Amino acid sequence: MRVIRSIFFGLLLGAIVGLYFGWGQFPAESRNSNLSDLARPFRDDYIVMAAAGYAADGDLDGAIQRLSRLGIDDAPSAIREITERIILNSARGLADIRLLVNLADELGQLTQPMRPFLDASRGRE
Amino acid sequence: MQRDLRPQPIKTASTPETGYFSAWVFALCLIVGMALGIGFTRVYGPWQRGNAEPWQLRPEERDHYMMAIALEYSHSGDTAKALDKLIALRPGGDPLAQLAEAACALGSRGYLGSESGIRALRSAVALYTAQGRAGCAEQLLPPLATEAAAEVQLAQPPETQRSTPLPTKRPLQEALPATPTPRYRPALPAPRNFEVLSVRSFCDLTRPALIEVFVVDYLGRGIPGQRIRARWGDREDIFVSGLKAERGDAYADFQMEENIDYSIDMAGADDALGTRLSTDTCYTENRRSLKSYRVTFVER
Repeated sequence: MRVIRSIFFGLLLGAIVGLYFGWGQFPAESRNSNLSDLARPFRDDYIVMAAAGYAADGDLDGAIQRLSRLGIDDAPSAIREITERIILNSARGLADIRLLVNLADELGQLTQPMRPFLDASRGRE
Repeated sequence: MQRDLRPQPIKTASTPETGYFSAWVFALCLIVGMALGIGFTRVYGPWQRGNAEPWQLRPEERDHYMMAIALEYSHSGDTAKALDKLIALRPGGDPLAQLAEAACALGSRGYLGSESGIRALRSAVALYTAQGRAGCAEQLLPPLATEAAAEVQLAQPPETQRSTPLPTKRPLQEALPATPTPRYRPALPAPRNFEVLSVRSFCDLTRPALIEVFVVDYLGRGIPGQRIRARWGDREDIFVSGLKAERGDAYADFQMEENIDYSIDMAGADDALGTRLSTDTCYTENRRSLKSYRVTFVER
């Protein structure tokens, strides 16, 4: 009985210690991440690049397809939320915000905080 | 007085259980459990999934990230920004060559099945061909409408061109007009201006406490012979790019010591590094090392 008890508690405690060191103290530098695993600043960066791509080629489907790689299912809502957050936090430069606002506008998600940043050359309010 | 001559009862060898655990079984299982736990974290990856940096992307996702960089470049035309983002992917070689490879790989995987993919790939090709690189994506892309029209035009020259053939040999005097012989004038080298493109820290067991400097021109080609100055306290040292042939023309490095702040500058780079560089403990592959830096100067 004490052997079985020793095996059980030994493995359990060892696994806990192993997980603690493997995840907490010395985490692996994985090179196997998806785009959806990116940290927020890099996610934002990718979204801005997708918006710039849209500004360059006018391909809305392509932009939505690129956003879906981030695990975004509802691209219009996600763009609205991200753009508003970036505007409120001043998290990006003016040029980037304009790209995001123009994409949000094209997706029918233009909100009040975005209006001052809408590109006037697009002939909208 | 009689002695008891009967044989004494034999004592049994069985020992009573003296503890809650069997020490050696417990220790053995503890070690096995730790190995399993650590092994699991290495196979499964990091606990925090939403905390990755672009260089941690798996190859296919990295290719798509590069296409996004190329698309942004097609909008902004900012080569330095695109290069900076490509370098942030830690390509382990020429970032533009990696972009060409990514474009080639995506083009071979059915990325060209949509207009969106074709546009993205064109952006990538435009970026790396503008910097003097080549790949297979150029051959995979369908010709542009203007290119196709030009090809048709070349295949069918206009009637006027076909009816009046040019002479195959021109008169000698006409062919060789007298021109003044140009005189050789040694030109003074134009002063080169640089700016700091990026400063990044990294942790490497084989290269601890090192400042790696890369000096490149606006096309991303290495510039040898550039003198870089490291200053600390009231002392300074000069090191020169291109002296380590195995690392390329752009490369120069400087060995740091702990607990010293260094500043780096270079002739022609008026915006010298604003931050001071100092090394500190870092961990990679579960081992301790000292933090190193990678500084890139690009010609303006």
